[in-house]
Amino acid sequence: MNGLIDVVNLTKKFGDRVILNKINLTVHNKEVITLVGSSGSGKTTLLRCLNLLNEPNDGHIYFEEKDLMDPHTDIDKLREHMGMVFQQFNLFNNKNVMENCILSPMLRLGLSKEVAVERATKYLTKVGLQDFLYQDVRRLSGGQKQRVAIARALCMEPKVMLFDEPTSALDPEMVGEVLQVIKTLRDEGMTMVIVTHEMGFAKEVSDRILFMDQGIVLEENNPIDFFNHPKEERTKQFLNRVLH
Amino acid sequence: MAFILATLPPQGDFIGTMIYLVENYYQIILYGLGVTILLSVVGTLGGFLLAMGVTQARLVEIDQKRDGPWQKIYKATFKRMAVTYVTVFRGTPMIVQAMIIYYGVASLGIFPWWSPLPAGLLIVTINTTAYISEVLRGGVSSVDPGQMEAARTLGLNRRQAMRHIVWPQAVKNALPGIGNEFVVNLKDTAVLSVISVVDLFYSVRQSASTNYRYIEAFMIAAILYLILTFVSSKVVDYLTKKLDTTSEVSQS
Repeated sequence: MNGLIDVVNLTKKFGDRVILNKINLTVHNKEVITLVGSSGSGKTTLLRCLNLLNEPNDGHIYFEEKDLMDPHTDIDKLREHMGMVFQQFNLFNNKNVMENCILSPMLRLGLSKEVAVERATKYLTKVGLQDFLYQDVRRLSGGQKQRVAIARALCMEPKVMLFDEPTSALDPEMVGEVLQVIKTLRDEGMTMVIVTHEMGFAKEVSDRILFMDQGIVLEENNPIDFFNHPKEERTKQFLNRVLH
Repeated sequence: MAFILATLPPQGDFIGTMIYLVENYYQIILYGLGVTILLSVVGTLGGFLLAMGVTQARLVEIDQKRDGPWQKIYKATFKRMAVTYVTVFRGTPMIVQAMIIYYGVASLGIFPWWSPLPAGLLIVTINTTAYISEVLRGGVSSVDPGQMEAARTLGLNRRQAMRHIVWPQAVKNALPGIGNEFVVNLKDTAVLSVISVVDLFYSVRQSASTNYRYIEAFMIAAILYLILTFVSSKVVDYLTKKLDTTSEVSQS
């Protein structure tokens, strides 16, 4: 219990179907963890449980030792420190790029507009969108939208970033620009939990890879051993399918 | 007045009778026309504002885990009241609502100002509220839920996310439907003549019954109603399109 996030015996069911079965997981500060596995294995649900977008049925999630499952915990307050990036970008369509980025810093962190704009400009520049500061978000390409989404999350200066298949909805030629941004964040020491199907990227960026299968973490390892010496039969089958 | 009334054209002179009625009753007909427009404008604007509150109440979500017992009770009560309101006012004819409310309030005898016109304004407003609430609910559900999720992950509470992200888009999506309610109101407020609101229908009927020329008089009413609805449909279309394009330009 000394990680940034500690997950203890987390169980999630949809009806009678068990999606997550007593998951235990610790995310340490500055660690990059990727969750891989076939669809339906529970990896996206696990990620969405970490900030209670999905409400677990049982177990505990500690973020900086505060229990998210405690009804008295201010979830909104904790979410300010947990950035999330979605497969479908989920940008605010009634706001332009800048407005997407300054909304929550102003509302939740109490920043003045000047400071919020300055901060947003910094992060939008970081993701390479300095020429699109006031663009209508609906007119951006998929890759640009996803980079706005990342910048929007960064504007809250979160302690951890959660990525839910950030490149799965992108055209192939736009995947690289988004992955590059995530690599930059890794190099700067951002703590990240990433659900992805990009195995090459997982190998390159992760400190630890967790292979999920049927609601449990079947195998976890550092990227080199995970890909070169998978222990479980299911892991081998999975890697065979996705790598060949 | 005799020198004016002397020239009522004979039965069968359709056009002549219509001209006669317009010439002699244009003041009351214009007054009725004005009242019809007033009822529709007030009913639609007032209905829109109230419908925001009703829709908000209908969309309240009860958090079984985090809401306290009292919070659960009042949330559930508000929700139930809002749903009942919409069911009742969409499920009964406005003409029946008008009778119950007008005579009901009058029988209380506590509002000296209670008369057909304020009653009519109130009735059309609360009736329209129920219909626009349906339109707004559709507008809210047409906003991709992913945007709400994204707002929540940025720390916004549900209220903030609704106010800054969902409602602005929901209202915009609902504008054609709200405009349509205005057009419907122009026609449907005719039933308020049942409580003697002097709208277009009522004023035309007066001119008709004085002279026993119903077909000609109501042909005038039909033409005026058609002009009203046609023009306002065009205006609604224009405003909806204009809003769509300006919002795109201003955001780029």
